[in-house]
Amino acid sequence: MADFSPELVKKVKDLWKRYPEKKAALLPAMHLIQQERGGWFSAETIRDTADLFEVPDIHVQGIVGFYDMFHSEPVGRHVVRLCKTLSCKLRGADELRAHIRDAYGVDHGQTTADGAFTFRCFECLGHCTTAPMMLVDEERHENLTVERVDRVLRALR
Amino acid sequence: MIRETRVMLEHAADAAQKTLAGYRKHGGYQALAKALREMKPEDVTEEVLKSGLRGRGGAGFPTGRKWKFVPKTNKKKYIAVNADESEPGTCKDRQIMENDPHQLVEGTLLAAYAIGAGTAYIYVRGEYPHSIRALEDALDEAREAGLVGKDIMGSGFSCDVWVHPGAGAYICGEETALLTSLEGNRGYPRLRPPFPAVEGLWKSPTVVNNVETLACVTHIIRRGASWFSSLGCEGSTGTRLFCISGHVKNPGVYELECGKFTLRELLMDLGGGTPSGRAIKGVLPGGSSMPVFVAADLDVRFDLDSVAKAGSSLGSGAIMVFDESVSAVDVALNISEFYSHESCGQCTPCREGSDWVRLMLDSVRRQEATRSDVGLLLDVLDRIEGNTICALAEAFCWPVRSFVKKFGSEFEAHLKERATA
Amino acid sequence: MSQGTVNVTIDGKQVAVPAGLNLIEAARYAGKSVPHYCYHPRLTVAGNCRICLVEIQGQAKLEIACNRRVAEGMSYFTENERVKKAREGVMELLLINHPLDCTICDQAGECKLQEYAVDHGSGITRYAFEKVKKPKNISWGDRVVFDAERCILCTRCVRFLDEVAGTNEVGVDLRGEKCTLVVKGDGNLTSPYQMNIIDLCPVGALTSRDFRFKSRVWFMNFTDTICTSCARGCNVTVGSRGDRVLRMVPRANAEVNDHWMCDYGRLHYAFANDEQRLAAPRVAGKGAPYPAAIQRAKAILEGARGDGILAVASAFMTNEELLALKQLLDLLGVEERFFLKPMGEGDDKLVHPEKCPNARGAALLGFAEAPAAWPEKEYGALLYVAPHEGADLPEELRKRAKRRIVFSLKEREADVCFPLTTWIEKDGTVVSAGDRLQRLTKGISFEPTLVTERAVLDRLHQAFDGSHRPPDTAAQAFARLADATPALAGVTWQKIGPLGMKLRMAGATA
Repeated sequence: MADFSPELVKKVKDLWKRYPEKKAALLPAMHLIQQERGGWFSAETIRDTADLFEVPDIHVQGIVGFYDMFHSEPVGRHVVRLCKTLSCKLRGADELRAHIRDAYGVDHGQTTADGAFTFRCFECLGHCTTAPMMLVDEERHENLTVERVDRVLRALR
Repeated sequence: MIRETRVMLEHAADAAQKTLAGYRKHGGYQALAKALREMKPEDVTEEVLKSGLRGRGGAGFPTGRKWKFVPKTNKKKYIAVNADESEPGTCKDRQIMENDPHQLVEGTLLAAYAIGAGTAYIYVRGEYPHSIRALEDALDEAREAGLVGKDIMGSGFSCDVWVHPGAGAYICGEETALLTSLEGNRGYPRLRPPFPAVEGLWKSPTVVNNVETLACVTHIIRRGASWFSSLGCEGSTGTRLFCISGHVKNPGVYELECGKFTLRELLMDLGGGTPSGRAIKGVLPGGSSMPVFVAADLDVRFDLDSVAKAGSSLGSGAIMVFDESVSAVDVALNISEFYSHESCGQCTPCREGSDWVRLMLDSVRRQEATRSDVGLLLDVLDRIEGNTICALAEAFCWPVRSFVKKFGSEFEAHLKERATA
Repeated sequence: MSQGTVNVTIDGKQVAVPAGLNLIEAARYAGKSVPHYCYHPRLTVAGNCRICLVEIQGQAKLEIACNRRVAEGMSYFTENERVKKAREGVMELLLINHPLDCTICDQAGECKLQEYAVDHGSGITRYAFEKVKKPKNISWGDRVVFDAERCILCTRCVRFLDEVAGTNEVGVDLRGEKCTLVVKGDGNLTSPYQMNIIDLCPVGALTSRDFRFKSRVWFMNFTDTICTSCARGCNVTVGSRGDRVLRMVPRANAEVNDHWMCDYGRLHYAFANDEQRLAAPRVAGKGAPYPAAIQRAKAILEGARGDGILAVASAFMTNEELLALKQLLDLLGVEERFFLKPMGEGDDKLVHPEKCPNARGAALLGFAEAPAAWPEKEYGALLYVAPHEGADLPEELRKRAKRRIVFSLKEREADVCFPLTTWIEKDGTVVSAGDRLQRLTKGISFEPTLVTERAVLDRLHQAFDGSHRPPDTAAQAFARLADATPALAGVTWQKIGPLGMKLRMAGATA
């Protein structure tokens, strides 16, 4: 079992104070853990998380598998989430997806050969009035065009 | 000419509004002070009830009535703020959280005071990092100023407020799934009864309210129920946030009073009509979980009861417009893909049925479906709806059925019989 | 209306039911059977399969019957058109991704998916797309096999391992249609009660590695009896075919084992099928017919009266067998009569530290627990009934007697060897933990010519005393036992019933 950084453990302990049960802090804690462990949950990271929270490892695994923002496989240096739901589709998201496939060689769930980013089509990201949009990690890019997409993605290399 | 009535978004463009000082300058925390010093908790509930405020998350349930479901007990109680905003087309709660977060904090505290809750969690969808940051900054300031935490404003009333991020699951916007997720689990909706007001977080009474609903509460307490109910119309009092998106010239979030215009007027006036100039083909008036309107339906007066009578709903306030350039079948398919992806998988009809519906619509799109296949699709929807643990089933059965019924000729044109003819 | 009952109307029929029942249990009182997968009386309600939907008068939506309790005056329908349509729909949706495995699936013939498809399904499939593919034939250790495609995600196994076994070792992963079950840690189950999830699983998603592909259930015979691996006496049903035991599964008994049994007991039957077992008596190392063996045994016992006879019985013997032995020993004036009581680890659930089914019966019938060390003397004869397993003739007993008469599964060299019949080959009673009198029922004969220990002992008794009348039937054998045993006064074989009965015994034991 590998240790988490003291900073992370301290943050988790602070989170625990907010809830009557430690388990409730899992989702906020798992965001921090995923960040510390290279952007995804390996079997070891799942075990470490389970040990820290004193829950069965399958409980943590079930959470990783349920929520779209947790990854069970390695990801690139960045995660690009392009919205595919109706408002974005109506304003060209399908074409942007096709462009990304052609220009960067990745479709949903795939990582670029140089490891720069993992591309995922996501369901409604809540920026419907500035569609189409994508999230790159925690940054948002709205009113996308092919040019804007290229500008953002090229900068990730 | 339709004008906005900006109450919740009145100061959204002011960068300082996010700060405590900026918020206070515009009357912030006066409502909380009034409630804590001059009103009993029951009075706050009565005021909200009198205002006619209906939930802004999608169901439109009267907020005051919901608060009254909480039993009188010494048990610990909770407020859970539903900031999961994942209904397709909806991006309004985010406007409040990012630009005027204290408005939400104040409303949350008022709700907590009304029902006797000592802790509130704001469950923000994980894909909203800006909202999360804005709320956490606002809460840091508020705690520092004694507005959140122990003995607020020296009143004796204590309430902690914490931001709790989701991690990407639409179903967590369903109130019981939100609670299950908040407790540190997979976001599974729960069987009812018991209802959250009686048994919610950790089996304690919990009220779940939408962000916009609580923002309204702030204004109701500050300026009074009579003022609030003088806005809008009967059955849809106050102002509401609407997100207009899709094939419109002026997509955006607008704060409006209901009952003063029709949907068509809204789309042509504020919306600016379609960018292409083509006719509007269809409108989803309240998110993707409600039946679709076609061009002929657009003259409905835009308020909760009128739209319901016309066969759909204001839902989450998300209006999505599509014009003649897109196939209704494609739109229906896109919607069904969403629900199939988001089904939690707990119960048989939704888990198995949501994807079957998607496959059937895809088969229509590829012109491989026969007339009896379309009949089968409608029959399968009947088998799913009403038989599940939560309303996700209705959320895809209603729109899909409405597409088949309202765009019958377009579905007809896709039929295999036509393709091979 | 008496205290604790409620009047309800089910499918138009008025019926009084105990208060507190859910609508599935209440429907039984009206002779109605509401189909269900995820509901189980011993587990928390999950409400996810949706097959138990019923219509409650006055309610717009159908309601799941497992999550509602009866209320005075309630009226509900279990088979009107609306309910039938809903059930048919759920059935169809369950089957659209279910693999067409019936031909190779062990669950066939005892599968709730098959049964309800016949009773409540539409009989045709309308699904025209590819079924979802998931992993199959996954070993969850060496006892349980998991097939993810067959799984209907009822979560009975998850809840059992959480709530009853307490190991929390199975969970659900992924979301929506992709949902599948996962096992904690290295993927192997650890609970000593894990195989109960095989019984619980309503479909063939969880099957027994031990029973895999052995037989179709419709070719098997089923016998209700008791597990004899420990003193708990879990009620079981033994499945056999062609006079060989194929499997054991628990039988519900609220007073003993609820719906469960431990894996050890469940799997502990192979010795009954052992082809090396004695199929006939033996005298002086050679096969012999029963009459000859009995005569030789009589001669040995007569000759040993001077030097003393040591009798060591087994706590695997039924009360009736022990009585027959007792009566013989009384006749011969044998005072040194013991029984072996193998011990081991118990747990806080069902496993009892006494690894034999009838130590209580042996004590009741006057046998003493075997001493730590046998007396240092050489007896004229040893009369020994071996337990089901372990040494058929322990060395320290063999050397204590000049001549040995042995009842065992495999001992072939003693002076007289009688074949032992196992628990599934005889009728009789045992006294299980908690002083519960329970019945063994005969299900097979390893060899058709085998004679039970009781019959042999009775014939041996007859060889000494021609007036001795052995009983013919199980009921008669028990009646003889009851007559001779004050603690069993008034009890009959019939009265004991398939679930047994508690005895009021002085110095009641755990």
